Amino acid sequence: MLLYYFKLAMLSIRKTPLLSFLMIATIAIGIAATMITYTVNYMMTQDPVPGKSDRLFTVHLSSWDPNVGYRMKDGKEDIPIFMTYQDATNLYTDQRAHKQTIISFHKAMVRSAAQPRGQATMTYLRPTTHEFFSMLNVPFLYGSPWDASDDSQGSQIVVLSKKKNEQLFQGENSLGREVVIGGLIYRVVGVLDEWLPLPRFYTERSDSYSEPRGLFVPFQSSINNDWLSGTDGSVYCWGGADLIDLNALKASECVWLFYWVELASAELRDDYLAYINRYAQEQKALGRFQREQMNRVMNVAEFIEYNEVVNKDGRIAVWLAMAFLIACLLNTMSLMMTKFHGKGAEVGLRRAVGASKVDIARQFFCETVIIGLAGGAIGLVLALLGLYVTSEVYSHLHAGLMEMNLSLMLLTIGSSVLASTVFGLYPIYKACQIQPSSQLKSL
Amino acid sequence: MLKMSNIAKIYLTDTVKTQALQPFSLDIEAGDFVAVVGPSGSGKTTFLNIAGLLEDYSEGSYFLNNQDVTHLSDTQKSRLRNEQIGFIFQSFNLIPELNLFDNVEMPLRYRTFSAKERKSRVIEALTQVGLANRQTHYPQQLSGGQQQRVAIARALAGSPAFLLADEPTGNLDSNMADGIMSLLKDINASGTSILMVTHDLQQAAQADRIVEIKDGVLTESKQVEKVVA
Repeated sequence: MLLYYFKLAMLSIRKTPLLSFLMIATIAIGIAATMITYTVNYMMTQDPVPGKSDRLFTVHLSSWDPNVGYRMKDGKEDIPIFMTYQDATNLYTDQRAHKQTIISFHKAMVRSAAQPRGQATMTYLRPTTHEFFSMLNVPFLYGSPWDASDDSQGSQIVVLSKKKNEQLFQGENSLGREVVIGGLIYRVVGVLDEWLPLPRFYTERSDSYSEPRGLFVPFQSSINNDWLSGTDGSVYCWGGADLIDLNALKASECVWLFYWVELASAELRDDYLAYINRYAQEQKALGRFQREQMNRVMNVAEFIEYNEVVNKDGRIAVWLAMAFLIACLLNTMSLMMTKFHGKGAEVGLRRAVGASKVDIARQFFCETVIIGLAGGAIGLVLALLGLYVTSEVYSHLHAGLMEMNLSLMLLTIGSSVLASTVFGLYPIYKACQIQPSSQLKSL
Repeated sequence: MLKMSNIAKIYLTDTVKTQALQPFSLDIEAGDFVAVVGPSGSGKTTFLNIAGLLEDYSEGSYFLNNQDVTHLSDTQKSRLRNEQIGFIFQSFNLIPELNLFDNVEMPLRYRTFSAKERKSRVIEALTQVGLANRQTHYPQQLSGGQQQRVAIARALAGSPAFLLADEPTGNLDSNMADGIMSLLKDINASGTSILMVTHDLQQAAQADRIVEIKDGVLTESKQVEKVVA
């Protein structure tokens, strides 16, 4: 019987092509607009490290100027999200978490050793420590991360992103090959596979939707080489630090490093915070940390929220798109009312020959399903087109933000069918109320 | 088979009460051919709609094949219409986008017949009206008389106990009308009861009984000739 209803629905759609087209197009446009904004927002709010994000914490310390607060946030005094060199290295040396990493920044002219000097390009680097890779589930195509001894020695070794490996070595297995970074020779020990964490939560908000950096080097090597680049990241200071001299910066109260830890379980959070507070008390006894202690640890979701990685405009855009979709659906509903009312004579006839109201409702329900399916399919094409155009316009943003995965595609079709059937209920109800005796002379 | 007792129909609006049919009683037995005559607006179609369970009555009781239809649900009435009643309309009421087979099959779709059973019944019904070779044609490819034959086939396909015909020849010329009347008489001769509304007293004269409705008052004439005269 279901097939019969679908056959009737197809005949009905073909019988009134303009009306059917208007209904399908209206749904398609509404669905496309909604799914474009929803996709971008959804991809922005993805869990960047599934299964682990509740065990990864960034550590923030109240190390700021005792006389002047760091900044105000939501009407309250706030503390830096960065850490001083001395605090980061102290905590790192303590090794109190299951895993921990220091994250810094640098930029330099980079080329492969085989390339002439003229082919060197300005490249953003990520000085960090070896557990960065395992903490963030970073996949490797070739090789592996460096180890703790490389960190302590500051070995001149490098891990390349897949893209950078393609630029420097045409995508070949480049393990053991040499890269010239700022005039210094670094040996390749690893090449990453595709790795596009969205959002890129572990540094500043401005980096959240750009691609990860192309080169990763041991943090200590950047210190050994006196790499200091104030223009590539944020360095906030108090107490008159000299930003030209790295040794002065290391000894200062300037904050510029991110510090992340991985705990064995989320339940250990309070214990770790207690350790951080004890550390702060020790520093206070040494004359530092004179402000009110507001030390904190934040997991990934909390830091994304705090850092306003997903801004409110995105959410508002989704709501506006939903409102537009509802307007489209109300329009579709009125078109359905017109269409189903126009089929009053057929309804009367079918009721006369034995169709119950339920039979009539099923027949029209199938029609709304087909309209929803067609609207969803066209809406999906329009949404993909819209996302492509958006990614071209906002080419500085991560392309992955404008890509629909399979579940989003299915959601597009499913929500279109659901919307069409829900907004078709009232027209169906009205069609079922048609008095057959009043219609039988007008077929 | 059809027993109406003190049936009346009143239309009520906020301000107006209209008595469409005065209380009446009527029995129709199996095999009866009853013509319903009367001027336009007299209540003939209202009477037919009540008999066909398409409209509720305001008073009285109605038994169809010994079943009281007064308190039946919509689904139960629909099933009863489907199994016991065949409708024939003045304007044929065929669905233009369906071919003859699909039009005739329509009532059978609302029953639990297998596809094979449906096909057999459709072909038998179309054969009965002489259009078995046109089953893939569409209504607009047929003459008016042929379209009415298809409508009769549709009414017959479900083997109803009786047919309700509302001016079945009203849109046909006299030759075609004669053909349809002849077909209806054949159907009646095979045991199917027919209740036919008509303006044409000559056609009414071909029925076994005549019921006259005038200003909502239903009376049955004992002698056909009297009404015709």
